[in-house]
Amino acid sequence: MIRCEHCQLPVFENEVIYAEFADKRVPFCCHGCKGVYEIINTEGLTSFYEQRQWDDNTKPKGKELFKPVQINHFEEFVKDGDGNVKTINIYIDNIRCAACVWLNEKILLKTKGIISARVNYASHNAFIVWDSNVITLKEIIDKIVSIGYQPKPYQESEAFKIQKKEERDLLIRFGTAVFLSSQLMVYTIALYAGYFQDIDVDTKIVLEIIALILTTPVIFYSGLPFIKNTINGLRHLHFNMDTLITVGSLSAYFFSIYQLSTGGKVYFDTSAMIVTLILLGRYIEATAKSKATEDINRLYELLPTEARLVTAGQDDTIIPVKSLSRGHRIRVLPGERIPTDAIVVIGETETDESMITGESKPIYKTCGSLIIGGSINLNGSIVADVLNSFDKTMLSDIIRFVKEAQSRKPNIQNLADKVVGFLVPIILTLATLTGILQLLYSKDFTYSLMTAISVVVIACPCSLGLATPLAILIATTKATQKGLLIKGGNIIEKVRAIDSIVFDKTGTLTKGSPMIKDIILVDQTFNRQSVLQLSASLERHSEHCIAKAICESSRGIDLLEILSVEIKPGRGIRGLLNDEIIAIGNRQFMLENGIKLDNLPIHNSQFEKEGNSLIFLSKGASLIAILVISDILKEESVEAIKELKKSIGHIHILSGDNTVTTNVIASKLGISSFLAEMMPQQKQEFIRNIQSNNHKVMMIGDGINDAPSLKEAYVGVSMAKGTTVAMESADIVLTRDDLRLIPMLLSLSYKTYRIIRQNIFMSFIYNILAVPIAMIGLLHPIIAATAMAISSICVVTNSLRIRKCGR
Amino acid sequence: MWTIVFLIILTIVIGLGAYFLFLWSVKSGQYDDVEGPKYRMMDDD
Repeated sequence: MIRCEHCQLPVFENEVIYAEFADKRVPFCCHGCKGVYEIINTEGLTSFYEQRQWDDNTKPKGKELFKPVQINHFEEFVKDGDGNVKTINIYIDNIRCAACVWLNEKILLKTKGIISARVNYASHNAFIVWDSNVITLKEIIDKIVSIGYQPKPYQESEAFKIQKKEERDLLIRFGTAVFLSSQLMVYTIALYAGYFQDIDVDTKIVLEIIALILTTPVIFYSGLPFIKNTINGLRHLHFNMDTLITVGSLSAYFFSIYQLSTGGKVYFDTSAMIVTLILLGRYIEATAKSKATEDINRLYELLPTEARLVTAGQDDTIIPVKSLSRGHRIRVLPGERIPTDAIVVIGETETDESMITGESKPIYKTCGSLIIGGSINLNGSIVADVLNSFDKTMLSDIIRFVKEAQSRKPNIQNLADKVVGFLVPIILTLATLTGILQLLYSKDFTYSLMTAISVVVIACPCSLGLATPLAILIATTKATQKGLLIKGGNIIEKVRAIDSIVFDKTGTLTKGSPMIKDIILVDQTFNRQSVLQLSASLERHSEHCIAKAICESSRGIDLLEILSVEIKPGRGIRGLLNDEIIAIGNRQFMLENGIKLDNLPIHNSQFEKEGNSLIFLSKGASLIAILVISDILKEESVEAIKELKKSIGHIHILSGDNTVTTNVIASKLGISSFLAEMMPQQKQEFIRNIQSNNHKVMMIGDGINDAPSLKEAYVGVSMAKGTTVAMESADIVLTRDDLRLIPMLLSLSYKTYRIIRQNIFMSFIYNILAVPIAMIGLLHPIIAATAMAISSICVVTNSLRIRKCGR
Repeated sequence: MWTIVFLIILTIVIGLGAYFLFLWSVKSGQYDDVEGPKYRMMDDD
């Protein structure tokens, strides 16, 4: 098997393209790959091939490789610098590893006129500075396209800008806290030594004052957000983590000031450490958040921006889609996306409506049929009257459903916050109790008060803020290694609560596109090979997905030249070979061509009952063979469902496809609950109904029609080869199309939850054990420090245990 | 006694210096791309 030198995809012998490089014959799968290889060689950048690590092999998208990019989309993002210097931010798509980033940077830097080009490894955004006298934006864009990458205009949404600013703010606050705390620790150790070794009073006071000065910014600058949140929370008597931190660190702070003035021992280190450790936890959370944006507005990219307006007596004019309104007459050519919902008036064709139904089976359209904005016009040229303007199309409806679902989605309270909820009252009760008991016992008000406060100081667990974020960070990293991209922190906790799973059918449980399941020979002079040869020779003229399936199965077979090929949308293809009519198509097509279909060797109703399509091949006047085409179930689906049944009680299948096929798939998987022919909003409603009965649903899908359901569900999972829309609406994206990842996800989340629980326990157990010491009045700063240290170490090492989870 | 005071002042000055360096590095965007330096380090030029 020969592999293309550039994209590594296997190439059949009869399709390979060779080129000479340095006296070697190098194989390629297409001219696109060959072109990129040439450029890389001439620029001397062949180390790209040594460095790259691609998980999956894909061509630089064949025909689309040289699709002209609309420059006007980019022009609004150009910023002017001094003189002729201009800058722009561009998102480069198709980057798959560090070598791709390196390649893009190097190619750009070697281009005359480029002053600087820097690509961000994490976000794949390129920041380019160029001299507009030497090179134009179009040339730069073309350069990127020429090496096989797709530049797209990059616009930071407002939400994203705010998020970036918050991250920086958090980092600065954390950094400040760390610096000050490190300095503080030096003095604290001196003081510890001093407490046990009779330090000279003056020195002690000096050191303690310095400790005070260092701690103050930590509490009141780095810890300011916590204080603000606590004040807000107290208004509603709402106790969360911030309350605990503020109460703990402030009480330690003021207690220490009191101690400073009366010659006691200070706890500034406890106070500062609480804030610092919590900030560490928050920072880990912030960086662990995924780079994937939830920008649903990208959905609008599916609708073309321009349409062809038909005016009587003139040529077609190109107008923006936004100015289309009801009654306008538009023309759509084969291969184009339909600009908006319309009714066909002239012509016939087939369209791909997978964005609504999920099914890529073409739908036949003729005069009077409704064509949907955003769907693909496959093989006929048509003229249609606009029904809905662009903001009222079915696609816009889907976008609306997604947005509504998103606004309804609640943010769950994670376990740590729940624990804090009842911990704070307990601590305060214990402190009050101590105060009262001490008062009764010693009759000294100040002493009792101070003892009570010392209970609060010791009881405050500082590694609680690390418990959850650390575990989630390690779990998320592990998940990514296995092929699960988890988009947020609390999603792992959410997954654990799932008790129902809803599957989409096409593309999720099944392979997504039809395949040849069986070939039944009617004319015994033909064999499987020759049938495929004949079929593919005809079908290669069509873009139909069934045609693609037939051509796929006949790769490697030399095809025949068929003359006078006619494509009849919705029925079949016909042509001439050696003066004989060869036809391939459905039952109706055969009848139209006078082929007799009686005395068939099979009960074909049996096949159709199972949801297969039958395609008939004829030569001359007689039938040669019947091809059975259907969408095949993925083998891993069976195993995955079996695994899932062990832990999930309710499994459902919702499909946009017909009932027969869905029934077959459901019975093969042993799933009793399934619904078919569902529109996107019906799927969403189904999920909403289940969830209102207190179930937590996980939705797994891949198409645009799944987007509202993915958002509505408690947790949404999108397949790897899913549409961009599905991936943006989902909480988790699978990087491999293997459904066995789902049981793996479940077991990872159960284990992580257990570890989070253990972490939380360990973070306050040492502190709680030390409470009795404080109640008696024997608290020493070193006890507080020890409790803090031990609990932090335990939390960290325990979290590492997640890495050992399973296969 | 004065040794200690001198050392304290020295630590504070050096500490502050390091702190301002940190502030500068965050503000000039050096923390925005955390993956990049891993690979750029290995480049030849």
